Amino acid sequence: MQLKNDTRSIGNALASATCGLLGALPAGGVLAEEAPKWQVDSALLYYSEDDDRVRDISLKAAIRRAFDEDRSLDIGLSVDTLTGASPSGAVPTDAVQAFTRPSGRGSYQIAPGKLPLDDTFKDTRVALSANWSQPLGERSRIALGVSASNEYDYLHLGADVRWERDFNQRNTTLFVGAAYGNESIDPVGGAPVPFAPMRGTDDAASKRGTDSKTVVDGLIGLTQILSRRALFSLSYSYSMSDGYLTDPYKVLSVLDPDTGRPVAGPSGSGLGLYLYEGRPDSRTKQSLYAEWRYALDRDSVRVGYRLMDDDWGVTSSTLEAAYRWNRTPDDYLEPQVRYYTQSAADFYRTYLLDGQPLPRYATADYRLADLDAFTVGLKYGRKAAFGEYSVRLEYYRQTADAHESGFGVLAGYELVPPLTAIIVQFGYKFGF
Amino acid sequence: MAPASASSQLELQRERGFWRASFAAMANPCEILCETSDEAIVRRIGALAMQEAARIERKFSRYRSDSIVHTINTGGGQPLMLDDETADLIDFGATLWQLSEGAFDLTSGVLRHAWRFDSRKALPSASTVAALRGRIGWQRVSWRRPELILPEGMEIDFGGIGKEYAVDRAVALIQTAADKPVLVNFGGDLRAAGAPPREGAWQVGIESAAAPGRASQVIRLGAGALATSGATRHFIEVNGKRYGHIIDARTGWPTTDAPRSVTVAADTCSQAGVFTTLAMLQGANAEEFLKMEGVQFWCLR
Repeated sequence: MQLKNDTRSIGNALASATCGLLGALPAGGVLAEEAPKWQVDSALLYYSEDDDRVRDISLKAAIRRAFDEDRSLDIGLSVDTLTGASPSGAVPTDAVQAFTRPSGRGSYQIAPGKLPLDDTFKDTRVALSANWSQPLGERSRIALGVSASNEYDYLHLGADVRWERDFNQRNTTLFVGAAYGNESIDPVGGAPVPFAPMRGTDDAASKRGTDSKTVVDGLIGLTQILSRRALFSLSYSYSMSDGYLTDPYKVLSVLDPDTGRPVAGPSGSGLGLYLYEGRPDSRTKQSLYAEWRYALDRDSVRVGYRLMDDDWGVTSSTLEAAYRWNRTPDDYLEPQVRYYTQSAADFYRTYLLDGQPLPRYATADYRLADLDAFTVGLKYGRKAAFGEYSVRLEYYRQTADAHESGFGVLAGYELVPPLTAIIVQFGYKFGF
Repeated sequence: MAPASASSQLELQRERGFWRASFAAMANPCEILCETSDEAIVRRIGALAMQEAARIERKFSRYRSDSIVHTINTGGGQPLMLDDETADLIDFGATLWQLSEGAFDLTSGVLRHAWRFDSRKALPSASTVAALRGRIGWQRVSWRRPELILPEGMEIDFGGIGKEYAVDRAVALIQTAADKPVLVNFGGDLRAAGAPPREGAWQVGIESAAAPGRASQVIRLGAGALATSGATRHFIEVNGKRYGHIIDARTGWPTTDAPRSVTVAADTCSQAGVFTTLAMLQGANAEEFLKMEGVQFWCLR
C-alpha cells in the first residue's frame, strides 16, 4: 500500500462501505479528546478570629501535570497574609499593662481587664512544593517531594518520600512514608533566652540571634477496600522534632501570690515582670488515624478519627465527619463537622508566682492548654462550563481551661477566653 | 475469529455514578457501562449486547462447525449463496482489500498456521510462509453477491473486522432499547451511545506499552468510537526486531517497525478498527498515514 498525497483518500470510501455494513452512520459524529494534562485547584481563603485577633487571607493553588495516567508532577503554591493580634501569654490585670514590642523598639499598652494581645503580628508567608509521583514496577508507586516556605522570621526546607504497594487484587494498599524538614528561625529582635524578663525598649540584653530545628516524620498505613461501597484506611505516624521549639514571642506573667498583680519587672523598664517562655528542645509525637468512606446510591459519607500523643503530655483526639449530598449531577452540598479536644502540655502554666522556684520549662501559650474546639461548616460545589467552583463557610469555636485558677484581682477575669473564628473559602478547579 | 468462549454470564456491578454489565465473548472481556440508577435498564441492555455478541460469534467463528464461515471454508470450491449479513461483511472485507491494495485480505487467516504470537522467539521458515501464500488472495475468489466461490484450500476469516462489527451492532440494538448514556466495550474496541455521560465524556485509558495493565494515555470519549490495535502482548521479538500480530497478506510477513499500539477515533467502531489495522500495516509510516487521512489518533511506540 502506498501513501497517497490527497487527504482522506480512504475515509470517504470507508464511510460508504461502513454504511453498507451497518445501514447508516450515526448523525452525532465523533467527539474524542485527550484528557486534560493540567489540573488546577485554586482557593482563596479568608480566616478571621473575633475581637480583632488573627486575620489570614491566603491564596492557594495546587497544579498537577499528568504525563500519563500514572506519572504526575504536583506543584503547590501558597501565599498567606497574616494580620491582627495574638495573645502574648500574659494574663489580664486591674491596671494598664505596658509591653515592649518584640523588636525592642516601641511598646504597646493593654487596658485593665483585657487579655494582653500583641498586635505587632504581621506576616506574609510564601510556600512552594513539588512532588513527583510514578509507578515502581507493576504494583507499586513512589512519590518524591521537596518543599520550602518563607516568612519574615522563618525559613523551612523539606523533603519527603512515599512508597505504596497494592496487594490482594488491588483491594489493599500498604503505604510507607518519611519526611525531613529543617527550619531556621530568626525572630524579630532575636530569640530570647528562656525565662529572661521582658526588658524596656531599646534594651537588647537577654536576646540572642537565630536558631533552628529539624523535624523527622515516619508514616505507615493501610487502605482496604471493604466492599464496592466502603473503604477503610488506617495509618500510624511518628514525628521527632529537635532544636528550637519555643515561641520567641510568648511570655508568662509573674504574679504576686497575694494580690494576683504582676510584680515589677527590671528596674527602669517601667514594665511588670514577664518571663519569656521556655520549652523542651525535643518533641516526639505519635498519631493514629482511621478513616472510613462509604458511598451511598447517590451521596457519600466520610468519617475520620485521629488520636495524637506526645512526650510533652499533650494527648488529642479529632473526630470529623462530612456528608456529600449530590443534589443534582451538577451540584452538591457538603455539611461538615469536626470536634477536637486536647490535654494540656505538662509544662503549661497560666502564670508563674513570685517567690516560687522557676520550673524547668513553662509556656502560657493557649495552644498548649487544655482545650476543646468545634467546627461546623457547609460547602457548596457546582460544575460550570469550564471547571468547577465551590464555596465553603465554617464556624470555629474553641474553649480552653486555665491551668491555675484565678485569685486576687484575677478572680473576675477569663484567663483564657474562648475564641471564635469564621472561615470563608472560594475554590475553583479546572483542567486544560 | 477466536475460539468460542464458554457460555458467559452477565454480571452487573454498580460503580460510582454508573452501572457495569460484563460478560465474556469472542475470547474477550466485554462490558456495557450505563449511566443510570435503574438496574432493570442495565440488565436489559446488557442482555441485548451479550446475546448479539454471542450470535455474531456463533455465526462467524471459524472454529465452530455450525458457523457460516465453516460452511464457506469447507465448501470444496462450490458456489455458495450467502445471507444478507454475511454478504455485507464480505462486501466490507472486499472494499478493505481494495483500499489497502491487498495488504488486508479476508483469506489471509491461514497464515495463523505459520505465525503464533505467543512467547516463542522463532520466526517461521520462508518456505512455510511461501506455501501458505499459495492459499491466499482475494483476487482468486469469485464474489458476485450473493454468490461466493472460494477455491478449494482457501479459507476466509472475519478476524480483522468481526469484533468492531459486533460493537456497532450492539450499539444499534441498545439505542432501540434505551436513551441513557452507554459505553460498549468489547475487548478494548468501544463506542459511545445515547447522550453523553454526566462528565461530558467517558474516560478511556489506553494500555501502556511499557507497563501492560496500566493506562498511559487517557482519552475522553463523548460520542463516536475508539478502536485500538496493539502489539503490547502479541508480538514476536527476534534479534531486537519486533514482529507485530498484523500480517501483510501480500508478503505473509508482519510489518516491522509498527507502533506498539494505535488508537483511532471515528464515527463507528468498524471505521476506527479499519484505520488502526491499515496504520499498523504501514509500519514506520503509521503516523504519517493517519495524519494524511485526517483522523484523530494516538500512537504508542
